[in-house]
Amino acid sequence: MEQWIDFAKGPLFALTFMVMVLGLLRLVVIQIYSILTGKGRRLQNAPWRKIFSEAASWVIPVRHLIPGTKIFSTVSYLFHVGILVVPLFLADHIALWEDFLKIDLPELNYGLADLLTLFTIVCIFILFGFRIFSPRLRSMSRLSDYALLFAILLPFVSGYAAHNPRYNPFPWDVMTLVHLLSAELLFVIIPFTKLAHIVLFFFDRISGLHWQLRPGSGDKVAEALYGKEARV
Amino acid sequence: MNGKAAVPAAVDSTSIPAEKKYPYYIERPVTHNRVERFLEAFAAILKYSDYKPLLDSYCTSSAKCNRCAVACPIFLATGNPRDIPCYRTNLLLETYKRYFTIVGWLKSRLTGGFELTEEIIDDMLDGFYRCTACRRCTRECPMGVDHGLITHLGRYILSLIGIVPKALQVSVREQLEGETHNTSKIPRAALLNTLEFLSEEMEENLGVKMEFPVDRPDRDFVFFCAVSDYLLEPDTLMGNAAVLYASGDWDRWTIGTGNYDGINYGLFYSDWHLERIIKQLVGEVTRLNGRRILIGECGHASRSAHDFVPVFAGGETYPVINFMEYTLDCIRKGKITLDPDIIDKRVTYHDPCNIARSGWIVDQPREIIRTFVKDFVDMKPSGRDNFCCGGGGGLVSVDEIHDFRMSIAGKIKAEQLRQTGAEICIAPCANCKKQLKELVEYYEIPCRVMGLHDLILKAIHIPGGKSPRARKEEAALFETNT
Repeated sequence: MEQWIDFAKGPLFALTFMVMVLGLLRLVVIQIYSILTGKGRRLQNAPWRKIFSEAASWVIPVRHLIPGTKIFSTVSYLFHVGILVVPLFLADHIALWEDFLKIDLPELNYGLADLLTLFTIVCIFILFGFRIFSPRLRSMSRLSDYALLFAILLPFVSGYAAHNPRYNPFPWDVMTLVHLLSAELLFVIIPFTKLAHIVLFFFDRISGLHWQLRPGSGDKVAEALYGKEARV
Repeated sequence: MNGKAAVPAAVDSTSIPAEKKYPYYIERPVTHNRVERFLEAFAAILKYSDYKPLLDSYCTSSAKCNRCAVACPIFLATGNPRDIPCYRTNLLLETYKRYFTIVGWLKSRLTGGFELTEEIIDDMLDGFYRCTACRRCTRECPMGVDHGLITHLGRYILSLIGIVPKALQVSVREQLEGETHNTSKIPRAALLNTLEFLSEEMEENLGVKMEFPVDRPDRDFVFFCAVSDYLLEPDTLMGNAAVLYASGDWDRWTIGTGNYDGINYGLFYSDWHLERIIKQLVGEVTRLNGRRILIGECGHASRSAHDFVPVFAGGETYPVINFMEYTLDCIRKGKITLDPDIIDKRVTYHDPCNIARSGWIVDQPREIIRTFVKDFVDMKPSGRDNFCCGGGGGLVSVDEIHDFRMSIAGKIKAEQLRQTGAEICIAPCANCKKQLKELVEYYEIPCRVMGLHDLILKAIHIPGGKSPRARKEEAALFETNT
């Protein structure tokens, strides 16, 4: 089992992490390339200040707590804080970042990390609850929306159990392996699912740029479909 | 492809199956091969436009969190999941993913999955015209998905296969290919008559003679308003004129008779028309050797000129100013003064989505109003977070959906308006004004809807003319006598 854990902590971690980074990089490069080649000089016309300030308003989104979505939005926000802070700053993870990325991040106190992990798990269950019990949300939810929540839940639950033997019904090494593999599964699926909004978040927000329509395109479209004599 | 007509041949409407009846009038209802033709049009747009990166990004990251639902006045009124912006947007995104991406194609080979059907086309042609394109949902989407832009694109594709409300299509055709070059089909002679009439009215009411400047070259401002204002909103136009006269800028502006319509329905449903209308407008400014474009009280006319003149005008770009910006500038510089003792009623202000959502025109009208209105009350929410009047996205021009506009699209706005207790609602937009006037009648709200400059016309000091107080007394006397 120890060999499996070493493999998961070593080459497999490196491989899956690379898949995530390269996958996300691919999305970013495609977006930037398409925008630069498609928009050209119209990039200057885009309302960049508004785009950035709108994006920034979501860092602490108090303004966006509108009636009808206050609880969901608050839970969702705290969930995002949890899934960012715990994986990055947990002491056990710091060693991994140091080994592979040569970066030294500040450590999160174990007690606080445990609390945040529990907190995140609770948030995930509440989000599950919303998707299941809110008719509005259920009507829009796809299988992947539930599956992804579960995929995020797994490394948190297994990590917490591995770290707290009192709550762990399975052997430590089994739970640790589940934790590592589930986190690595997450790495792999991030670039290919809606979790890619880690990087696409910004590209989604630049509709102000996309309203900078391509001059002459309307004529070309009309001509392609109906010939030069196309009329209204 | 060459030689095809822009729209399919007319068919006898009685031959259209019941399920293909459209929720709005269409010139030549399309009944056959809609799926193939939709995909053909979509492919052409993807080839010649640059919507692809946007669609790729939205397809991957749309979270389906439903926050957009509670921001949408239509969904809030109906509670129908089909009115959730994300649902509507997803129809187009799924189509894109399935037919224009490798992943979608692979998925369809392996698992079947989404197929574009006649029923989905029906869903889109209904859904995209239930959306008022107010973009309130965009502001509340954590991902920033611009459902308004998707509505625009969806309508654009549909228009290319001949599915577009007749009211919009006929207006645009007249504006682009008709003799009058305006959506209300007002001939040049009728415009000149109207201006003469307005001139006489102003002389009688304000006590000064002002002849509207027409086709004067080399002026600072070339003025465009929603052309329907010349017929329906004379007080707004006289208010505009009064500001220009009182500020001493009477010799700095002109109306062009080559093109005098600021309306641009292309913003609502077609890149093709949007660009051609902008070029027509810019062409008139160039013909007159004007320096700036001054847009009257109209939300979408302001936005389309402000946002798209720099995009489509080529080398000829002109600064675009909304009339409220101009008026505020005059007030700040002390060029005009408004009497604060004339308007004694409670006033509220409706933010037109096309100028308020982006934050462009939000504070300016409020600053103007506070200089001469003592009892001003804002709606809640207002400004950038305002609710649409229910007639946005061109819907106000589609008479056959009047019931939808009243009972659903405008329901929240009517409630907001009632809660202010205001007797006057300022709506500085031709579309919003028409919708709100119909709403107050429908919901029996004791409130009068008017433009900001209608109100300014009552309170402005005109050099050498009658005082606002004298005009108010005259008006009261006239009302008593009649």
